[in-house]
Amino acid sequence: MAHVIETNMLTKTYGTQTVVNQINLSVPEESIYGFIGPNGAGKSTTMKLLLGLAHPTAGSIHLLGKEMNQANRLTLLRQTGSLIESPSCYGHLTARENLQIICDLKGVPYRDIDRVLEIVQLTQYCKRKVSDFSLGMRQRLGIAQALLGSPKLLILDEPTNGLDPAGIQEMRSFIRKIPQSCGAAVLISSHLLSELEQIIDQVGIINQGKLLFQGDLSALQRHSRGDYILRVLHPKKACSTLLAQGITVRATGQLLQIPSVGEETLANLVQQLAAQDAGIVGLTQQTKSLEDIFLSLTSQKEAV
Amino acid sequence: MLTRCIIAENRKLHGSVIWLAFFIIPIFPAIMGTFNYTQNLDILKQGWFDLWTQHTLFYALFFFGPIVGLYAAYLWRLEHLGHNWNMILSAPVHPMYLFFAKFVVVAKMAVLTQLWVFVLFGICGHFFAHLPGFPPLQTLLWLLRGSLGGIAVIVLQLLLAMVIRSFAAPVLIALAGGVAGMAFISQGHGLLFPYSLMMVGMNSNRAEDVMTGQVPLFLLSILIFSVIFLAISHVFLTKHDVHA
Repeated sequence: MAHVIETNMLTKTYGTQTVVNQINLSVPEESIYGFIGPNGAGKSTTMKLLLGLAHPTAGSIHLLGKEMNQANRLTLLRQTGSLIESPSCYGHLTARENLQIICDLKGVPYRDIDRVLEIVQLTQYCKRKVSDFSLGMRQRLGIAQALLGSPKLLILDEPTNGLDPAGIQEMRSFIRKIPQSCGAAVLISSHLLSELEQIIDQVGIINQGKLLFQGDLSALQRHSRGDYILRVLHPKKACSTLLAQGITVRATGQLLQIPSVGEETLANLVQQLAAQDAGIVGLTQQTKSLEDIFLSLTSQKEAV
Repeated sequence: MLTRCIIAENRKLHGSVIWLAFFIIPIFPAIMGTFNYTQNLDILKQGWFDLWTQHTLFYALFFFGPIVGLYAAYLWRLEHLGHNWNMILSAPVHPMYLFFAKFVVVAKMAVLTQLWVFVLFGICGHFFAHLPGFPPLQTLLWLLRGSLGGIAVIVLQLLLAMVIRSFAAPVLIALAGGVAGMAFISQGHGLLFPYSLMMVGMNSNRAEDVMTGQVPLFLLSILIFSVIFLAISHVFLTKHDVHA
């Protein structure tokens, strides 16, 4: 699979603080890649590095198959749309004038403005001054700016920040359509996995500058299996058997919670419990929510 | 590419409050100069040329630098607000083109300001100082030469306004620069200080041309200062991380 973003040991330090630490990011083409991490994890800095807004201390960046360097910078930026930190706009100008400025800078014909206004549903407000826009409308204008010129890669830094639930839902529906309608890959960041899990197909989790996980969502779920829940008729017998096998147990009445173990170990445990007449009634595995997985990963602080 | 950047910069001035400053600020030195002239008619006998000395005394000393500083600070303030730095520097244009475009726009506004000053000079001379005829064409040429002298100040003010996020600080520096510029001129070192160059070019507070024979040095000084400030701006724009 071709990748629109590939970084190799990308590192950024400010003084003694390493903000981005040897990150190897791989974003497949025509995918929506969720870049998740708590505030201050290094998401915005990584995105700024990708766009050349900050200079890497070490490592390399490849966008759309070309190295992001001084020679390729303008060519790559021409094929990239971005919304970093918050929408950038001039409040005293209308939405159309703001988009005209981006057209001027990108060398895109003004006729593209109508297309992007329609995508973000701002056509009827295009003559209104941006200072009169709500935050949600500004965010949509920011997306429209990023979409001008039909870029092959969109880099969106927390585009749902500060939006109400309806605004978040609306933004998600815009972004979900982008790979199909524009043929672009999207790198989108958020500090909330739950906010993005409905639209992303790839995920990268970053904390304290380190990429803790990268892959598709199902891989993330496989990576962090939940505990097993045993329902037994004789919890005392079951507990002593499990403890004898070195398994930690949390008992609540007839329910015993044991940590996730391998399939062979589990089969062996079930056999032992049956031999001790523990009376197994049921066995289920808890499914961790993506939020739980995210929290457990970011609290481990170790790269996978 | 540069043309597109200039078009974008010009567009940012649509409906902007900066045009209020453009029209109103030059009125103050015109009023002050005319008042001074009419109060000293017993010693000011050279008509339009003496009115010129009074107008430019205040304008060049206290107003031209800050006006240019205001234009530059305004254009960069548009980028300092919000996260517009991210937007302009992730555009597919060389960062220095963004700077050059702002320079062209500020220079254009500076020339228009000089022309507005000339109009005010004519109005004040005709209606309030009751001078006969029209202002001497030479004063218009001095104003345009002042714009030329202002090039180094424009580049410097753009550099300051780009680096300093405060709106007021670069304008105050320009005000201090204008006063210091007069001190340099009085010491005979007008070509050695950027803020003096505009005053020298404009023949500020003088009825006779002080630049005779010094034009090449004047142009060289503008060039040297401008190149230095452009080089610093280039380093800032290309080596510095964006902290929007």
